[in-house]
Parts: sequence; structure tokens; C-alpha cells
Amino acid sequence: MGSRFAVEARKLQKEFTSRSGFWHTKTKTTVAVEDITFRVNRGELFGLLGPNGAGKTTTVKMLSTLLLPTAGTISILGFDAVKQTQEVRKRIGFTFGGARGLYGRLSARDNLRYFSELYGLEPDITQRRIPELLELVGLSGRGEDRVETFSSGMQQRLHLARALLHDPELIFLDEPTVGIDPVGARELRGTLKELIARGKTLLLTTHYMAEAEELCDRIAIIKQGRLVALDTTAALKRSISGDSLIDVQVKKESLPVLKEHLARLDGHSSMQVLDAPPFKKISIRTPEPGAVMQLLAPFLNPDFIQGLEVRSQTLEDVYVAIIQGEPA
Amino acid sequence: MIKRFFRLVWRQMNVQLKIRIFNQYTVLLFFLQPLVFSAVGMILARAAGNLAPDLVYTVIGGGIMGMWSGLVFTSTWDITRDRLYGTLELIVGSPTSLGKVEAIRTFTNVMAGLVSLAAAFLAAMLIFNYSLAGANLAGALVSLLLILFGLWSIGIFLANFLVWSRLSDQMVEFLELPVAVLCGFMYPLRILPVWMQDISMIFPIRWALGALDECLSGSHDLAVLGLQWGLALGIALLFWAMARWLDGKVHDLVRISGELNSI
Repeated sequence: MGSRFAVEARKLQKEFTSRSGFWHTKTKTTVAVEDITFRVNRGELFGLLGPNGAGKTTTVKMLSTLLLPTAGTISILGFDAVKQTQEVRKRIGFTFGGARGLYGRLSARDNLRYFSELYGLEPDITQRRIPELLELVGLSGRGEDRVETFSSGMQQRLHLARALLHDPELIFLDEPTVGIDPVGARELRGTLKELIARGKTLLLTTHYMAEAEELCDRIAIIKQGRLVALDTTAALKRSISGDSLIDVQVKKESLPVLKEHLARLDGHSSMQVLDAPPFKKISIRTPEPGAVMQLLAPFLNPDFIQGLEVRSQTLEDVYVAIIQGEPA
Repeated sequence: MIKRFFRLVWRQMNVQLKIRIFNQYTVLLFFLQPLVFSAVGMILARAAGNLAPDLVYTVIGGGIMGMWSGLVFTSTWDITRDRLYGTLELIVGSPTSLGKVEAIRTFTNVMAGLVSLAAAFLAAMLIFNYSLAGANLAGALVSLLLILFGLWSIGIFLANFLVWSRLSDQMVEFLELPVAVLCGFMYPLRILPVWMQDISMIFPIRWALGALDECLSGSHDLAVLGLQWGLALGIALLFWAMARWLDGKVHDLVRISGELNSI
């Protein structure tokens, strides 16, 4: 199958029906994913972002054959994920965030041996792959230790090793750095970059914007089950009005005066007031930071402004703007 | 292909036993449970005035009772544990079918139970001076194999319900005693009301256990034994076929409901 796309999801939809009551007669249908269409190129690191309950994990589970879509089609490496499940499963790897997904009473090596058998690896390949992968994820000295003695970060890294056992072309990583300390997360990101350098395709979901910004070639943002943005990080940043962001920390009692003053901002700039206890924060998005600074100059004293920062837009700003409903 | 299958069997058994037997306490349970059942059976039989209690309905019945309880609870726990650990969906998402994994697991549980039965039997021979003199040993062996096959076929059949819904755990555990009562593990079925005997006909173990009783009593009557063996084998195959059919259905159902990861 020579599709140039690793993933092609078209008009994907997933509904869950729950039943309640003693006789299970009351039914409630929840739409988890609605009309999602996107493609992931081979060799790409694609990010799927969205708040809790947005439908990221459901989407990943449909792509990795663990859930059947209610409607729509999925092609994985040229195979139909619904009809050619076995072909897809041989070629993909997946991990789901958190400490679940391993047998705690078994050693790291026994866990990997078991899953390599489920993937039908020949013994000589297993013998070669396990030390290689333990080395790759920085666990080479801990292979014989029980997994229940591992930290969250070590377990996450072992998850990744498990997902790579059969050398899959495409890997789904659902929140791979959740619960890991910054050093562990950085090491894991290093491993993901190495995988991309080896030609793998990765689809990553994460809550950490800095992580997505550092790693992903393209990013899709899901909100309430719908795809609301899809582009490169740079293009997404450009899509938000203005190029700079000015965060102004003010005393609560000074806020009305300053807000009234800032109402003179031209139509290309926008302003948002946020809580920043014990102060308030006015976040101004503007294409002309110099003009805004001039406007703020008379208030640059401790009675009004407690702190001020001028910075470029980050992916997090784009994400917040999109999720809070501002037009992208 | 065959080599790969046996490697999978070996690895699955290895993993399962390592998870279960992780300290001396669990090893002790393997031997303790059937011994308790057998001792209680023997004491009850003697209290009822039977000075030479029937081997099948005391020692072996106790052992099989232990195997059955072990099968029900371990199989239930195996799937509950996988759901809890998040490994159930990893197994389903692998190229090896969950049906195959469950078949090997159930086989492991049945074989582990056989160790318990052997321990109970040895204790009966050494401590209570039971003798196999005059028994149809070849027939007893065939019956025993059919008991194991019957337990395995019911085990894989029930495993589908456990995978399908986490709510079925209690239902499967509830079946432990009714099935043991209906199959007459620890007493002859003829003492049960006729309607209960009729219900018990759907369980392959009932027929295999009946044949085992005949064989240990010295029967070589192939007409009687053949019928019981045939029924045990046929019904066990029927459970196996239903389990295979359900396996595909459950695989689709859990991927619609998202039950694999629910805890």
C-alpha cells in the first residue's frame, strides 16, 4: 500500500451511548467526535491539542483500531482501519499516558518479552530489540527490575519502548509526558526527535503547549469534538490578530481607569482582562507594541502598573484564543 | 506458525504464573484450597455413616471444586486486572486475537488447578489410605482429560462476557456455586431433584465426572462410558464453538462501547 499519507481521517464521528436505570431503559448519546477530517504525512510529527474531554483520546483510539467510528473513514498507511484491522495493528504502535498499560509485578524485560510475543516477533529479533529499546529509553540498567518499582517517568519511557518493539511505521502517543518531571519530559522529547530522525511518523496528543511547539510540524486543535484549527505552528501564530502580546499587571482598584484609557486602542488590537491574584492582568494583543507602550507611559508608576511584559505570541496564546472562542 | 503458537502459549503461561505466584502465600493457596474441600467432604461423608467414602465425591470432587472456583475467580480477576492495568486494550490492539490470549490463560488456570487436584489426590493416598486397586485407570484418565477440556471450554465461553462488560464480573462469580451444585462435584447427582439433574445436562463436566466415578468404581462398560464421554466432548465442543462465535462479536461490541478501558 503506497499511500503517501500515514493517516487519512475523513468525516470521522464517534458517539457513545450510555444506559441508566435498573432495566437500562434510559439511554443517553454523547457525541465525542464530530466530523473530523485531517491527514498526517509520512515522517511527520503531528500534534493533536485540545482541552480535557475534547475528543483527542477518542480520536487516537479510533485511529489505532481500539474504537470503531460511528461514521466516517480512516486510512492508516493505506489500509482501512475498520476493515483491515490486522494489517493496521501490525504496523502501528501506541501508548496512552499515565502509569497504566504495564504489568507492575513483572520486570521491564518480561513486559517487553510478553508484548513482543503478542506482536509475533521472532526470538532472535526480540533478543536484539529489547536491549536496544531499553538503551533508547534510558532504562538499560533496570531491565530486570519489577515495573512497580519504577517512577512515572520510567514507566512512560517503558511504554514507549513497548510501542516500538515491532518497529512500527506509525506511532500514536497520547499524552506521553503527563506526570513526568521536567527532566524526564525533556529526555522523552529527545527520544521522540530521534524517532522522527529515523523516519517514523508520530501523532502526539498533549496538554503542554511548549512541548507541541517544540516538537510538532503541524498541529490540529480539537474543541468539543470538532476540529477548529489545523496548520503549522508558525501559521497558527500568524492567524491570531497582532504579532506581540503585552501583559500588564495592575492593582484591582486601578483597573477601571486603565481600561477606559486603553479603550483608545486602534481596531487591530484587542484586550483581555484576566485574574492574576492579588492583581489583575490586562493582556493586549497588538501589531504595534510601540504605540501601546506610548499609551501606557503615563501609568508606568507603582500606583497603577505592578509589572509589564512584552513578548511574542506563543502557541499557548493561540490555543487559549481558539479554545475561548475567539476567531482564529 | 505452530512454533510461534507454542512460543505464545509458553510466554502467556509464564507471564500469568509470574503474576499470580509472586510469593509463598499464593503457592500455599494452590495446595490448601483443595485439601480443605477434600477434608470437609470426607468428614461429612463419614459423619453420614459412610465408612469408606467415595473417592470421586470427596477427594477428587474437592479437587475439582477447587479447580472450578480457581478458574472462575482467576479468569474473572485476569480480565478485571487487565482492565484496571490498562493492558486489556493493549492486548486487543495487538495482532494476536484476545480470544487466543484468553484460551491460553484459561488453559493455564485449568492446568494450575490440576496441580491442586494432584496434591489433594496424593494426600488422600498417603494420609487417608485411598487405593486405586481395581479402578479402570485408562478410562479415568480419559474422563479426567474431558473434565479439563470441559472446564476450559466453559472458561473461554465466560471470558467473553467478562470482556464485553465489567458489570458481568459478579454474574460470573455468582455461577461458581450453582454450577458446582448442578454438576455434583461432591456428591452423586442422583440425590438431586430431577429438574436439577435435567439442568445439569448442559454442563460437560457433569458427564465427564460421572464417567470418572464409573471408572474409579472399576467399570469397563464402554457403552455407558462412551455415552458419557461423547456427551462431555460434544457439549464442551459446543461451548468452544459458541466462545469462538462470541469472540468476534465481543471484539466489535467493545470497540463500539469503549468498554475496554472502563474501570
